[in-house]
Amino acid sequence: MATGATSGSGGLGRVLRRPETGSFLGLIVVYVVFALLGGRNFLTAPGWSSWLNMAAEVGIIALPVGLLMIAGELDISVGAVLPASSLTVAIISSHYGLPIYLGIAGGLGVGLAVGFLNGLLVTRTGIPSLIITIGTMFAVSGLTLGFTILIAGSTGVFIVPDPLTKSIFGEALGGMFQVGIFWWAGFVVVIYCLLHVSPWGNWIFALGGDRQSARNAGIPTQRLTIQLFMLSGFAAAFVGVTQVITFGSAQVAAGSSFIFNSIMCVVIGGVLLTGGAGSVIGIVIGTMTFAIVNQGIFFSGLDPNFGSIIIGALLLAAVLSNDTFRAMALSYVAKKK
Amino acid sequence: MSILKKLVLSAAAVALSATASSAANIYVIGGKPDDPFWSIVKRGAEDAGKVVSAEGGKVVWLGPQNYDNLGVDAAELIRQAIDQKADAIVAPDWVPDAMDPAFKAVKAAGIPFIVYNAGGIEAADRLGAMNYVGAVDYKAGVAGGDYLGKAGGKSGVCINSLPGAANIEAYCKGFGDGITKAGGKSDVLPLPATAEGNVTAVTQAFKAYLLQHPDVDSVFTTANLDAVGAVQAIAQAGRTGKVKVCGANFDQAILAQIDAGTQACAVDQQGYQQGYYAVSILNGYVNYGLNIPTREILTGPGVVDKANIKATMAGTKQGTR
Repeated sequence: MATGATSGSGGLGRVLRRPETGSFLGLIVVYVVFALLGGRNFLTAPGWSSWLNMAAEVGIIALPVGLLMIAGELDISVGAVLPASSLTVAIISSHYGLPIYLGIAGGLGVGLAVGFLNGLLVTRTGIPSLIITIGTMFAVSGLTLGFTILIAGSTGVFIVPDPLTKSIFGEALGGMFQVGIFWWAGFVVVIYCLLHVSPWGNWIFALGGDRQSARNAGIPTQRLTIQLFMLSGFAAAFVGVTQVITFGSAQVAAGSSFIFNSIMCVVIGGVLLTGGAGSVIGIVIGTMTFAIVNQGIFFSGLDPNFGSIIIGALLLAAVLSNDTFRAMALSYVAKKK
Repeated sequence: MSILKKLVLSAAAVALSATASSAANIYVIGGKPDDPFWSIVKRGAEDAGKVVSAEGGKVVWLGPQNYDNLGVDAAELIRQAIDQKADAIVAPDWVPDAMDPAFKAVKAAGIPFIVYNAGGIEAADRLGAMNYVGAVDYKAGVAGGDYLGKAGGKSGVCINSLPGAANIEAYCKGFGDGITKAGGKSDVLPLPATAEGNVTAVTQAFKAYLLQHPDVDSVFTTANLDAVGAVQAIAQAGRTGKVKVCGANFDQAILAQIDAGTQACAVDQQGYQQGYYAVSILNGYVNYGLNIPTREILTGPGVVDKANIKATMAGTKQGTR
């Protein structure tokens, strides 16, 4: 009986020590609360599609942003890369009438190029990535606006994608589940393998833990940082591609909300703001929690005027609960010793 | 004989210069010429300018290079028009604090002027302008509410994706008043900051709203992309054909939706009319003392729907819409 209790609490300890436990409990609480308030519509397919569609887009960006945060960096420029990519697709394939695959390649190329520039500037100048990427965000926004007006003479460009492209990037399955959800799942698998299976993942944790030691240990920190920024640029550009194909319209004034939304998903998912700790599962859970709260407000009958307050409160509660769980886990380990 | 000839010639010269001075040199202050909306206003001013030119005058368009310092730059352009001895001036009152002193200088110089596009009849009254030519956001909302209400709408909602922005609030208030007067009721759906600039978030929020409000049959949008999102939300909620969409302003995507029948109407402020009528009224006044006694010349709301979609699309190609 005594041994049984020990092994039981040992199992509990292992679970508690997992960094995403706090986030997962948060997800359950949030889902139950909004299920009670939102009723049938929230629990059935339309409700699930509503928050999953939202989660998929921000989730695709949150994954690499999470990797960057684990490595101790931030990327603000994702908010500008998204519309830049959308407009690149629309300008190449609609305004100039070139094949859609060239437009998509162009859009994704913009994301990779901005990411490369971010990484280069961060590694070469030593200026914090928060500042660098705020700078590139404004630069990319300005270029997007300037070139769009110069080329298209308008702040919005339109595109009618062919059925195949539409079905790959912008279809809604069952009339409601957008294919972005499956793309998100794909990103999750790939990034999970990168972070938790390949040696590359250990380098990221090492980079976030102590950059100097990581370099001394022979990790190519500069190349790694540039790769991480290129990954987040690519992800933001990818969402830009899916949006323009889904809605057939790209606008200059778009994307800004993805900056804080992606950071919120990552933080709710238990990634340390100071770097060095976090997990892909945590980021996924954080993204789901964020999306459920965002959409839950509209199902719940709560006054949507207070929507932003609820979202803000959630962020603080999530960080507090994550910290509490981390402290509990650490003290539990300490007690055992 | 030669003296007589000289007298005749000089009299002719006086007559000529008299004609030249009575012909109207009209200065129009507006947005950047490459701004999609302002290029339409400019086209209207230029079309009215054809009559001005035929009568020996001219229309000069003054626009800022950029919108970084809009109020101050526009005030400077008004002063420039005074310095160039304008016979009449047309200008928007974008930023009253920065621009009202310039309008007062126009008044002090005795130059007739019209406030257009922004400021409303209140600005024209305050500054002593001849008239106001333009649209009123509130009335655009009313027109949308009225249209959907008369189309059988009983329960409407206005999607406010920028809570706090004065023009959006005015659109939504107008929509509510319009549909209520037509016998329906209305609600506003304000979106949180996390949805800003994210059409997917707007779409999913409105879809959730539709699922929870099965009686809603009319929706008003205040941004072009919101109207595209609203149509997809209606489809995802399985309510295609049961919820009618009307929106403020339009672009190519909106016109395509109206043409395809997924959007009922768009409410336009008709920028072409703003440039055209402001110039035309001042030209008649300067040359012949003509006046339009109607105060507040409204150029909007102009409703675009199935009935005039083809003409509107043709106008878009011609640069008049």
